[in-house]
Amino acid sequence: MSELRFNELRGEQVDYAIHRQERTFLPTREHCPLCPTRPGAAPTEIPFPSFEIAVFDNRFPAFHAPHGAAEVVVYTDDHDASFGTLPAARAEALMWVWRHRYLELGAREDVDYVFIFENRGVEVGVTLHHPHGQIYGYPFVPPVAALELAADEHLGRCAPCALLGDELADGRRLLFENDGVVAYVPYAARWAYEAHVVLREHRASLLDCHAAELRQLADALQTLVRGYDALFDRPFPYVMVVHQAPTGIADARGHLHVELYPPLRTAEKLKYLAGSEQGAGTFISDTLPEESAAELREAIARGA
Amino acid sequence: MAGSPAEADPSERPVTGERGQQSGPPAEGIEPALCGQPAQGERQGPVVIARHLKDDGRALLLYTRREDQPT
Repeated sequence: MSELRFNELRGEQVDYAIHRQERTFLPTREHCPLCPTRPGAAPTEIPFPSFEIAVFDNRFPAFHAPHGAAEVVVYTDDHDASFGTLPAARAEALMWVWRHRYLELGAREDVDYVFIFENRGVEVGVTLHHPHGQIYGYPFVPPVAALELAADEHLGRCAPCALLGDELADGRRLLFENDGVVAYVPYAARWAYEAHVVLREHRASLLDCHAAELRQLADALQTLVRGYDALFDRPFPYVMVVHQAPTGIADARGHLHVELYPPLRTAEKLKYLAGSEQGAGTFISDTLPEESAAELREAIARGA
Repeated sequence: MAGSPAEADPSERPVTGERGQQSGPPAEGIEPALCGQPAQGERQGPVVIARHLKDDGRALLLYTRREDQPT
């Protein structure tokens, strides 16, 4: 169903999943496949009249057994909700769902890297509006994860630990803190309102977290996303990704953190990946992280 | 650090070289049920997991929070 080809010039795999051309594209809410199945109506992906959190194999998978996995994680049966508007207990439960999927997919021989993510907004290519995320189980360690491991080698210690220490010492780009988690705009952010949400303690994955840390992670992510929505008083598009230790490498290192890449650079202007970004691999930014962080801190206060 | 470790049993971590022979869901030893007939409950912290199989054979897991989680 899909085919991996190695791009020698880029040093990266390209996944050809041509069946995905047929996937459901922006259906009306009456035809949302992620809503619960209403009595008398055609079954959706979730053939139950209500549910809390649902996970199922993607009907149009980018990866599939025995060469990986692709799952859909539906956060709620409320079509009009969002991650930021979930009750705190539901967001905390979602962290446990993520943990369970990391545990179970990571145990598979054909999954070397468990990648949990959410695309929000048509600006980042969302095809279903119902609040949901996805999980890819890559049959290899993807380039960004490999770069993070290389950063550990370069710095001679855990890179996220080192960068977190730098951000706490500097302070200008901090957004939010609780007992277990710190959120900040990174020193070398690529996106105007990029944010990283990092566990204070060195935790390789969700499996290593205390229950309180999972709750604090959920709280930090919701606080940040609500701040995003308050920034321009509109639903804020983003890509949210969870970085953890690879599961297919012996003694794999990693430091659990969540990165958010919002494409907006103003209320109405998008940052496009154009010549320099695509052809040279160098982001050109119109904003300074320190200034974006100050804006976001005010927005987080408004969104609280 | 406040709170108790989320991971009660370190042996449940995925470890390379010791990973099971699972090539796809459901997990080994877990019997799924057809939709409408939940399999035996599993827990993950405060959530209970019910495994189902959709009509086309794809896995469907429903997670429901239970307030009586063990501490």
